Amino acid sequence: MPAVGSGAIPGARFVDPVVLARIGNLELVARSVVDGFINGLHRAPYFGASIDFAEHRGYVPGDDVRRVDWRLYARTDRYYVKEYEADSNANFSVVLDVSKSMSFGSRGISKLDYARILSACLTYLVHRQRDRVGFVAFDHDIVEYVPPSAKHMDVVLHVLDRVTAGRPGRLREPLRKLAEHFGRRGIVVLVSDLYEEPQTIVDALAPLRFRGHDVIVFHVLDPAEIDFTFAAASSFEDLESGEQLPVVPEAFAEQYRALVRSHVGALAARFAESRIDYTVLNTSAPLDHALFSYLTTRERLMRVR
Amino acid sequence: MWFLTPLFFVGLASLAIPIVIHLIQRERRRVIEFPSLMFLRRIPYQSVRRRRIRNRALLLVRLTALAVIVAAFARPFLRRADVAAARSSAAREIVVLLDTSYSMDYGDRWTRARQAATNSVNGLGPTDRASIVLFSSDPEVALRSTGDRGRLLAAITVAETTAGTTRYGPALKLAGSILADSPLPRREAILISDFQRRGWAGTEAVRLPDGATLTAVPVSGRDETANLAVTPISLQRSRFSGQERVTVAGGVINRSGRAMADLEMTLEIGGRTIQTQRVDVEAHGSRAVTFAPFTIASANTRGTVRIAADPLTRDNAFHFVVSPAVPIRVLVIDRGGPASLYLSRALSIGDAPRFDLALTRPDAFTTDPQPNVDVMVLNDVPVAAASADRLARFVGGGGGLLVVAGERAAWPAGGPDILPGLPAAFVDRSRDDAGRMSALEYWHPVFELFRGPRSGDFSTVRVYGYRAVSAAPSAQVLARFEDGGTALAERKTGNGRVLIWTSSLDLLWNDLALKPVFLPFVHRMVRHLAAYTEPTPWLTIGQVLEPSPTTARAPTTGRVALTPSGHRIALDDEGPDVLELAEQGFYEIRAQGRGSAPPVTVASNVDLSESDLTSMDPREVVAMVAGHSSSARMAGRAIELTPEAEERAQHVWWYLLVVGLMLLGVETVLSNRLSGMP
Repeated sequence: MPAVGSGAIPGARFVDPVVLARIGNLELVARSVVDGFINGLHRAPYFGASIDFAEHRGYVPGDDVRRVDWRLYARTDRYYVKEYEADSNANFSVVLDVSKSMSFGSRGISKLDYARILSACLTYLVHRQRDRVGFVAFDHDIVEYVPPSAKHMDVVLHVLDRVTAGRPGRLREPLRKLAEHFGRRGIVVLVSDLYEEPQTIVDALAPLRFRGHDVIVFHVLDPAEIDFTFAAASSFEDLESGEQLPVVPEAFAEQYRALVRSHVGALAARFAESRIDYTVLNTSAPLDHALFSYLTTRERLMRVR
Repeated sequence: MWFLTPLFFVGLASLAIPIVIHLIQRERRRVIEFPSLMFLRRIPYQSVRRRRIRNRALLLVRLTALAVIVAAFARPFLRRADVAAARSSAAREIVVLLDTSYSMDYGDRWTRARQAATNSVNGLGPTDRASIVLFSSDPEVALRSTGDRGRLLAAITVAETTAGTTRYGPALKLAGSILADSPLPRREAILISDFQRRGWAGTEAVRLPDGATLTAVPVSGRDETANLAVTPISLQRSRFSGQERVTVAGGVINRSGRAMADLEMTLEIGGRTIQTQRVDVEAHGSRAVTFAPFTIASANTRGTVRIAADPLTRDNAFHFVVSPAVPIRVLVIDRGGPASLYLSRALSIGDAPRFDLALTRPDAFTTDPQPNVDVMVLNDVPVAAASADRLARFVGGGGGLLVVAGERAAWPAGGPDILPGLPAAFVDRSRDDAGRMSALEYWHPVFELFRGPRSGDFSTVRVYGYRAVSAAPSAQVLARFEDGGTALAERKTGNGRVLIWTSSLDLLWNDLALKPVFLPFVHRMVRHLAAYTEPTPWLTIGQVLEPSPTTARAPTTGRVALTPSGHRIALDDEGPDVLELAEQGFYEIRAQGRGSAPPVTVASNVDLSESDLTSMDPREVVAMVAGHSSSARMAGRAIELTPEAEERAQHVWWYLLVVGLMLLGVETVLSNRLSGMP
């Protein structure tokens, strides 16, 4: 089970997300974060260029003849095809939850803002790796859609900048539509607060997974949602449904925290079973953890492949 | 529960308003937008409910504290009736004190009083016991401590008003003793009366036993009372054509605020109206009436001064008895000449009593005096032995003897020892300063008249000579000269008395006869020797009729008293020795047997102080008797305690305030503990 709100890598701590949220230019934000992050990773260069040679394999009909290694054919008189470590042209789509619940924020930055910065950083990072970037915003339906493209970096950042949270959200239907729409396998990063039952979430992601997408889930939570540090007895209003519930925090907190831990644990277990990478993000923590998690996942996926 | 200042509950409402506002504001301010209630909904509702109830309990404590404090400011109190109703139904010992004084005859007071007593008896529980005490000037237990309701009601039914006056003290003391003897847990005295002011002096040291309560049931209304009463009369005797005539002067008092005009006032003698006068009486005023004199025909003549009937009838008549004056018969033995001039002149003056004087010589005193002689005077004469014996018998039989010890006075040697002292040597005070009288026994009836200032000065009397007298051990010196010599001494012998005056009663040895004190001095000596007392034309109810000079000539044994209501009471060894007057009218005391003395009539009148119907506040009696307000109970509309008084007596507000503050303390502790809980 992932540690909720775990610490960042030493030396890779960035600027506070609250401060980043005040910067209006997402590209600038993403560049600052990603450059700083990559510079901090010099000590541990796990990742090389995506065009690095990996191995030779025998030619099979259907392979592009341009990938035949002619020099090896000249020495061995056999057709071999060169395989590389990474595919530099993978589709990378950020699927951002813009439901009303994402607008919550107790520490000066809302979950949506945090997710917006995170999405920008990931997009920027991926774009530097020559991958195609796309973007999807959804609540209970698809709100914004930017198809993956190597030229859509600016569009993605622009759309990211103007999306707002305003409607209740659902996972199943939008993700089903996306699965049907995404023709080419790629990397799908889901950024959401995941306020649905774990099985429902896994079921919603199943179509994407079944279609061969690498799914990475960032579970964005505010500290108040994790620690439930409210003091006075209050009526809590559901941001999406408007329902109110009288709550005495000192009596609820422990049970609430246990429920949240149980929920996160259940999600981690289900995602692990479904080979979905899952990371819980605390909006009070810097973005390095999210980026590190992403890159770790990418490295693992490439090794597995 | 009643409230003295219920308007303070407006304050309670105003205190509730900010609470409501506070709740509303808190609800608005504390609505927290949360991403999802998915997890919160899963928390069991019971725990939420319980927490809310606990908080509501805290709020309830706060509201209760505020409500109690506001209620304290509203000054709540309990009506006595409510308190009484809330008391336990333990067995009670009840003493019903029923006023039977004649003022209860006014209007419907007696009917209401009996009804109140009946109600008290009807209110008895199955385990209660009650006593009926009828009281006027003295209490009488009609029925003591019984639970038999029938007997109690019968005792009330047969009770009647009396001619007595109201006195609460003895009745309350009797009630206290009955209650003190009772083993029952609840004890109560019920005082049913018209609560006349004159019945309670305020100095009665009456206390009911601890825990006993006194319930006052006044039966007098608040309406102004109107009452006329005949005042005591005065009799003025005179003689006309050898007959004694009496002038009756009476009066009438108007105790109302309304003037009475043309009020008829009659004088009845022997049961017949002989005179009628009409008078006008101002409001709260009085009027004196003097009737024309009438001749007394016989002894024990009954007379009544009467006015027309009014709501209170007993004080509308005043009875009296008048008889021809009986003179004191005095026999003077002197040597003749002017020796008894001043004495005889002094005794010839006076109507009450008159003196029948007879003079004789010593040698003529050869037989015992007549039975009708009351007093003998030996005016400076020697007494022979035989005469001394006769005098001794006379004195022993109840006669009086005055011995004037002049220069010739002598008592035979070996004669009967009846004198206070034998006259001895002559003491000459003519050479130096004359002697003066001093050391008079003013408590003695002879000198009692001169006790007051400017009531007669014996110090101006000059005494030039007197006979030395050595008083006998059984004699009593009543006056001395300034040199210590005896001036007047007395000795009681048998049933009679003997006085000896050691100087003369003429101008030979002193100038007493020229002094103003001479005549009353002589009269007092003779009256004392004759054991004379003023005849009383009437007595007042409550007084004791006993053998007195008024009734002295009535036989001392075998007497029967006939009361005004016709009852016969034997006054002999088997009956009472004395008779307390209890009825208004004429008592007649008759001697039984043939040849007995004529009957004696005594007039009995009500005490007129009872006719003053001014009422008092029953709370005064209750407060004095019960001693504590919590022991007092009132009944009847006329004397209901004011709400302010009841509230002051109970001090409920103080307890509520304390409770409210304690609740606030509890609220503080409770809220601190709740806020400290996880």
